[in-house]
Amino acid sequence: MSPEDDLKILIITTMISSYPGANTVGQARLQYSPGTFIVRVPDPVMLPEEFYLDSFAKGIDGIIIMSSGSDCPYEGAYPRLSKRAGRVYARMKEQGIDTSRLKLTTICTVCKAAFLKEIREMQQNILKAKAA
Amino acid sequence: MTETNTSALEPSGDPVRVGVYVCHCGGNISDVIDTKAVAAALAAHPNVAVSNDYMFMCSDPGQALIIDDIKANHINRVVVAACSPTLHEITFRKALQRAGLNPYLFEYVNIREQASWVHKGDHEGATRKAVRLVAAGVEKVVRQDELFPIKVGVEPHVVVVGGGVAGMSAAVALAGRGLGVTLVEKGVALGGRVADLDRVYPTEERGADLVQDLTRQVEGHSRIDVRLGSEVVGLDGHVGKFAVTVRTSSAAPDDQDHLVRAGAVVIATGFDHYKPAQGEHGFGESPAVVTLPDFQAALRQCPASRRGLQVNGRPARSVAFIHCVGSRQIDGVHAPQADGKVNDYCSRTCCTATLHTIRQVQSRFPDVDVYDLHKDIRTYGRGHEAYYEDASRAGALFFRFPDEEPPTFAASTGGEYAGTVTTRDILTWGEELEIPVDLVVLATGMVPRDIASLIDLRKLPVGADRFLQEVHPKLRPVETGVAGILLAGACQGPMDINEACTAAQTAAVKAAILLANPTIELDPFVAVVDGERCDGCGKCLAECEYVGALTMADVEQAGATVRHAVVNPAMCVGCGACAAVCSPRAINVAGWTLDQFDAMVDAIIAEDVGALAHTECRAGVRHIEFAVISGGN
Ligand SMILES: Cc1cc2nc3c(=O)[nH]c(=O)nc-3n(C[C@H](O)[C@H](O)[C@H](O)COP(=O)(O)OP(=O)(O)OC[C@H]3O[C@@H](n4cnc5c(N)ncnc54)[C@H](O)[C@@H]3O)c2cc1C
Repeated sequence: MSPEDDLKILIITTMISSYPGANTVGQARLQYSPGTFIVRVPDPVMLPEEFYLDSFAKGIDGIIIMSSGSDCPYEGAYPRLSKRAGRVYARMKEQGIDTSRLKLTTICTVCKAAFLKEIREMQQNILKAKAA
Repeated sequence: MTETNTSALEPSGDPVRVGVYVCHCGGNISDVIDTKAVAAALAAHPNVAVSNDYMFMCSDPGQALIIDDIKANHINRVVVAACSPTLHEITFRKALQRAGLNPYLFEYVNIREQASWVHKGDHEGATRKAVRLVAAGVEKVVRQDELFPIKVGVEPHVVVVGGGVAGMSAAVALAGRGLGVTLVEKGVALGGRVADLDRVYPTEERGADLVQDLTRQVEGHSRIDVRLGSEVVGLDGHVGKFAVTVRTSSAAPDDQDHLVRAGAVVIATGFDHYKPAQGEHGFGESPAVVTLPDFQAALRQCPASRRGLQVNGRPARSVAFIHCVGSRQIDGVHAPQADGKVNDYCSRTCCTATLHTIRQVQSRFPDVDVYDLHKDIRTYGRGHEAYYEDASRAGALFFRFPDEEPPTFAASTGGEYAGTVTTRDILTWGEELEIPVDLVVLATGMVPRDIASLIDLRKLPVGADRFLQEVHPKLRPVETGVAGILLAGACQGPMDINEACTAAQTAAVKAAILLANPTIELDPFVAVVDGERCDGCGKCLAECEYVGALTMADVEQAGATVRHAVVNPAMCVGCGACAAVCSPRAINVAGWTLDQFDAMVDAIIAEDVGALAHTECRAGVRHIEFAVISGGN
């Protein structure tokens, strides 16, 4: 097992955008590490700051929030989410958690390359932080 | 009166018994994932009573396995691990329903698109991952409430805002399906921008004829009420029961506002022409620089005479058309618009509209020299490319300018021509050309109309390009994030007549489906308040963008009056912004609670499925059902 596969990366996906995007990656048979766990949500704006901090405390190595960005159908949700992510980063710093373990990004229904890139980068960040 | 219930806890007394079903998908999954091992691992979960794998869970025998287990083995929660839920979530929910179980006591785990297909080279890793994902599904479903669709009584009437071709097509299609329609048009006549067009591509019909034909159908229909010179100034209520206030300013002061009750609203407010900035390609500085719509109007009025083409009383012997004015703008090259952003989108119709106009010039005034300056030619529609080929054959000269170097115009004083257009031409390896012209026509793009007051009434979603935004162009076209409010035509982005009318018919059909029965069933995934946990702090209210979806109210609880949050399920969109700020977790989106997400993370982390705690599920099944919402607001 490669060190990437041993990681537990939570990928928060939206019903309208990044979850179908993850399906598109599968339909194209593009390969990535099984150390990745996709969780479907109506919108990540529903998750409180504690969700991220508690998940790290429980042993999740990294969290990628794949939002719908400007395609988000919910009014005001994306600005709220991005502000919340900012507060989580601040609290991670306070608690000595490497902030590269959390990433807020936007993935569309056909963003195959970007989906894979986010996973690769998160794995590299976590392994680098672990090695340090 | 809108009636809303929150939720009721109905202890069923039954122990939680989950059935887990792992699909092979005929080898699509089982060639990579050891489905037997997954089923065996899940059998150890303290809440799992049955755990099986099967060749095709979606097949009739596969569904029968579930139904039999519900009936014979008292399974009261189901997890299927298979393909994507977008394919079969409804199939399995219906199977639960057929077995007499609430269809929402179900969780779907995707181990095909998001596991076997993407981890082909690592069977063990994929199997380990599948175990964790299915365990997370079990942890979620044991915390799942019994949900029921939200039922809303409907008003079989639709308000269409905007009487261009899109609004008129939608109105005619809706009335044809038996619905009443109020067509609200701001202007003094129906027709929108098409009424200004002479011949339209690609059919060469007259714009006026098209408009007249549609107007006749609209005005001849007994179910359509046309309100000219009117605007929507109030938009309350929710899908099925909107209360729309239409204001006709020209009416007597005490008769200006008219309340219309409608089940759905179609917005078809169209577009505006881009107005070039002062000095953009010489616009506003020289009468020799005009926009395409102005040129089309001048062309229409110009008689075919021996004097040749005349525009604004001046001869036009040599005309340069410049594409992409106000569209496909580039940061740093073009001045930003009022909102600080450039119009980076393509206006789609202007390439064909320009070439179509060039063809009219060529056929009516063959002596005029025509120059076409473009970044690209995007004649994307059926029959559109012919205008390019014909224009080229008839002698138009095409120059392709670089993105970052748009052509410029300099007026001449006393020269033979009105001025000179200077451009670099990629097609001749970057040659700089000077073209003597009498007239420059700017192919101006489309911009959204200023409908800020309408947008504000319901916080309608607006895209980065400032046009109204549909939920998803492929999965949910013409729907907005507000249930029952649909989009038609160029209000949602540049489109030609054909596309605008297609979108209008789509919106009409969606509205007609929505209003086909006396009640609408909406998904139950809306915010739900647990009255016992709500402390009335009101933080959730500050997060909610949807007017009327969430309010604070005094409610009777255990003999006392307490203040807590109340959700209007027909107006809540289920985004969950409220849930994130509620420390006591009193408000959650039904089917997507924070306790469920926490438990899923626990399962993903757990090294041993058997060690996960047995869940009693709050002493039973929470039953979340709202009364039929029967009135407006
Ligand atoms: C220069 C040019 C040439 C074109 N030539 C062609 C062509 O040859 N062939 C072709 O297929 N397409 C052509 N098009 C595209 C065509 O104009 C559009 O597809 C069409 O006008 C879209 O119709 P619509 O009903 O969506 O919008 P519009 O035509 O803009 O109509 C919108 C209507 O809504 C009304 N309205 C706006 N706001 C409100 C409000 N708040 N309340 C009530 N009413 C409101 C307006 O008064 C208007 O009547 C051309 C476009 C341009 C720019």
